Amino acid sequence: MSVSGAIAEIVAERWIERTLASYPAEAHALLCGETDPFRNPAGHAIKQSLTTLAHELLGEMEESAIATALDALVRLRAVQDFRPSDALRFIFDLRDVVVEVIGAPPQALEIRIDEMALMAFDQYMACRDQIAGLREKELRLRMQCAAK
Amino acid sequence: MNALYSLLAVLALVLAGFACGQGAPARMVLATFVPYAAFAALLIGFCWRVARWAFVPVPFHIPVTCGQQKSLVWIRFAKIDNPSTRWGVVSRMAAEILLFRSLFRNNRARLSGGRLILGESASLWLCSLAFHWTLLLIMLRHLRLFLEPVPAFVNALERLDGYFQIGVPPLYFSDVILVSAMTFLLFRRFRDPALRYLSLFSDYFALFLLLAIAVTGILMRYFTRVDILSVKQFALGLAAFRPGASQALSALFLCHLLLVCALAAYLPFSKLMHMSGVFLSPTRNLANNSRSQRHINPWNAPVKTHAYVEWEEEFRDKMQAAGIPLEIENETEDAGNARTN
Amino acid sequence: MPETLVQIELKPPHGDWRDSHVEFRKGSICYSAAPKNLTALGLPNPRAWQPLDKDWKLPPDWKRIILDGMKERLDKYRSFRLFMDICVRCGACADKCHFYLGSSDPKNMPVARAELMRSIYRRYFTLTGRIFGKLAGGRELTEDVIKEWFYYFYQCTECRRCSVFCPYGIDTAEITMMGRELLNLIGCNTNWVLEPAANCFRVGNHLGIQPHGFKDSLDFAADEAAEITGLDFHVPINRKGAEVLFVMPSADYFGTPHYYTLLGYLMLFREIGLDYTVSAYASEGGNFGLFSSHEMMKRLNAKIYEEAKRLGVKWILGGECGHMWRVLHQYMDTMNGPADFLGVPVSPLTGTVFENARSTKMVHICEFTADLIHHGKLKLDPRRNDRWIATYHDSCNPARAMGLLEEPRSILRAVCRNFHEMPENTIREQTFCCGSGAGLGTDENLEMRLRGGFPRANAVKYVKQKHGVNLLTCICAIDKATLPTLLEYWVPGVEVAGVHELVGNALVMTGEKERVADLRGEPFPAEAYAATTANEAGHA
Ligand code: HEM
Ligand code: SF4
Ligand code: SF4
Repeated sequence: MSVSGAIAEIVAERWIERTLASYPAEAHALLCGETDPFRNPAGHAIKQSLTTLAHELLGEMEESAIATALDALVRLRAVQDFRPSDALRFIFDLRDVVVEVIGAPPQALEIRIDEMALMAFDQYMACRDQIAGLREKELRLRMQCAAK
Repeated sequence: MNALYSLLAVLALVLAGFACGQGAPARMVLATFVPYAAFAALLIGFCWRVARWAFVPVPFHIPVTCGQQKSLVWIRFAKIDNPSTRWGVVSRMAAEILLFRSLFRNNRARLSGGRLILGESASLWLCSLAFHWTLLLIMLRHLRLFLEPVPAFVNALERLDGYFQIGVPPLYFSDVILVSAMTFLLFRRFRDPALRYLSLFSDYFALFLLLAIAVTGILMRYFTRVDILSVKQFALGLAAFRPGASQALSALFLCHLLLVCALAAYLPFSKLMHMSGVFLSPTRNLANNSRSQRHINPWNAPVKTHAYVEWEEEFRDKMQAAGIPLEIENETEDAGNARTN
Repeated sequence: MPETLVQIELKPPHGDWRDSHVEFRKGSICYSAAPKNLTALGLPNPRAWQPLDKDWKLPPDWKRIILDGMKERLDKYRSFRLFMDICVRCGACADKCHFYLGSSDPKNMPVARAELMRSIYRRYFTLTGRIFGKLAGGRELTEDVIKEWFYYFYQCTECRRCSVFCPYGIDTAEITMMGRELLNLIGCNTNWVLEPAANCFRVGNHLGIQPHGFKDSLDFAADEAAEITGLDFHVPINRKGAEVLFVMPSADYFGTPHYYTLLGYLMLFREIGLDYTVSAYASEGGNFGLFSSHEMMKRLNAKIYEEAKRLGVKWILGGECGHMWRVLHQYMDTMNGPADFLGVPVSPLTGTVFENARSTKMVHICEFTADLIHHGKLKLDPRRNDRWIATYHDSCNPARAMGLLEEPRSILRAVCRNFHEMPENTIREQTFCCGSGAGLGTDENLEMRLRGGFPRANAVKYVKQKHGVNLLTCICAIDKATLPTLLEYWVPGVEVAGVHELVGNALVMTGEKERVADLRGEPFPAEAYAATTANEAGHA
């Protein structure tokens, strides 16, 4: 797919806006405005991940870059107060954004978005499993201690 | 909603001020009775509030430390941010009150492409500081109305304030800075959704009220050119407990006066009391010396503890079996002898 | 700014914080305290209930109890009354809380958390609030408010980061403590706080390990230290007439990786020949009373001085722990002092008089060790820690309630060669909490902990990527218990260790056998152990 970097940039920007809209309005000024990654870790993670994803989806489609960026974001949203559907909704928002910016998405892009969505499902489940596993591990350690 | 209500409340005060300017009896009341009532409320309310705080004990020594403690002699410690002596505390409080030290910490000054960038948070610090200092300056300048002869420092402040001699009468910088800083603070509350979420009626009310006072004052000085002589006469009269409402006092002045009285009466019941509260804040005004000097809690009440003897009684057998020394070695022995401690 | 962004920013807030209804979600709340624990501590309203229940079975006059309790505390704590009064809602603290940064829940802004309490204060205790009610920022005390308090006051780790930035030093942790005290009055408490407290009260430590079990654990550690070094170890318990009473958080002898820190202490004490004892009665330095009420704190803390007096020691040394040191540094002397039966602490090796502990008579082990190292009393080989690239996490309480910042760093610089700081605004007094302190470190609450720990993990991730950091050192038992989980989720590949674990690794003991592995049993880097047997390996 040949989309110029500038367009990918615009797509990323709009995509970020939409995703941030899933957070309470009170937090927007911080999430959007603060540029220091340590004062605004969540906003930073969202921006970074989505920018990478937009560029990859509209460009090279490098598997490992996508996996890393997606993981960082899904990992965050998996522990925030979202239902699973809301946690992953941001992926499907990309379709609307692309329509807004470049018109109807080409077939290839549709496929890529679907691919990414499936990947995100896996990652989300992996995160939730990991959380369950970590819980169990802590509980087990505690039981062991108590038994000692 | 809160913002609207407080704006309406301030506008009502302004209208009341103008209305008072129209009728003679109302003028009389406003010029003679209201100022005394308001300042009595201020004085009594202020003392009452401060006393309320001051008479509540500080049971524990809970400074928030913002730097290295004083421990080993070869480690440099933060004398101001983590004071260990009274003088350290004085400097910490001075930095807090004169420079808003903690608010400054909030700033993110960054060099980006050779340019110093101050974020939005820095403007909070800057505008707050500008607002408070100019407010102080303006209040001091007002002394010239109440004192005869005018003290030299007041004259000096005035000259400094109008240093550039722009316009007639000379423009005071404090006025410009005060109004712009306050406008920023207000704007900030409207703009940032988080602050809008938090702001209460009283937050807007304080800002609107101060802004209204400033605006009426500025109108008087630069636009309607109030008769300063009769104002001074009136102020001196008030100060000497011989109040009188001369006909020369304009409606605008009476409006300004009413607003100031409202502020004075409102102040003790509001968050504006932070000005005295900040001095009493136990996380800032205590030295971090709780391990070298014992802090006394006046109500240190006794509590139910689990004493050693009871504890040993419960675990005696297990301790004996494990070979842990016991206080009372053997039940059959004379316990009184063993209990030497 | 793009147009849509402007729109987002101008979208009105979705609600009013005075609306008190909260939806409790699994993973974000702690379970209620078991009735037996309340009974053991003599606390009111023991009953079976859970936060997810509709009916919390509050006592019939709960409202009066809360209001009376508030009044009592307003008259006893200047901090409480003042902090209720003087906040100007400037918002400087708003984005300083790790829970807010991780969750974006506006009620997690410290000022909003405090307003939950302030609104009640205004309604029932101020003139304007009684007259104008809602307009003056007041609201009615309802059961929903109680639930909301429970939710948000157990979503604050009392870390005091917000206070650092507040122009008046308003400490939301103080308000949280009051909130929890009030909730205690009507029996709304969490098991993760009260069970350790009950165990500590009756048996002596959080897990309720009885004296013989305590001895077993320490003997086991002594054996292990002996095996590692080839020297003989013995840990004296309840020994009268020792010079020093050593108190550590109980996690040090039952938790991992705390355990390696314990080995580190034992080796250090053995090497310098410290005349010390530990106590089975005061076998807990940690104090979960801090997380429930001032009274409970005092009840649990009383054991330390009582035991020091009984054993006739000269002074007390305290191990690596965060909230334990908050209590020891800021509360112990006031609550249970004066300790006039003890002497001013003096290091037996260097002769350093710990003037800063002149009254409390209790010294932090990092102060003690840093002094030893500074005077060259320890033979250290930092190469033995070469497998680690370390960073240091300031634990909230030593950082913001003591200012213990340089001591651990000076130790670390002496015992390991690869050390990198995290970014400036995430360490020292601005350090980010682990998100699990103040009695929140339980598994049912893990999602919330992961959210709260995200800002800290984010900084760790940064140094991992930049410098290859693979070890997070800290001096807090709660950190050591909870950060491994947190980092496994956010930054896999970074482990957690106490500072004295690294001391134990680097310490070259007189007469030790050739050591080939560190305290975790991992082999030393080759060049390190080749050199250590030779005597020239001293500290640079
Ligand atoms: C010892 C004296 C004082 C100190 C140290 C002090 C300090 C502060 C600080 C640090 C702030 C927070 C920053 C901000 O929001 O602007 C503040 C806010 C404020 N102060 Fe003061 N202040 C003092 C006296 C006064 C006085 C005498 C008044 C007016 C009667 C006043 C009116 C205000 C107002 C209205 C705000 C809120 C501004 C806003 O809403 O954004 N202060 N003060
Ligand atoms: S920083 Fe202090 S005064 Fe400002 S909102 Fe927070 S608690 Fe209130
Ligand atoms: S004390 Fe810590 S956890 Fe509590 S509100 Fe303040 S920053 Fe948040």
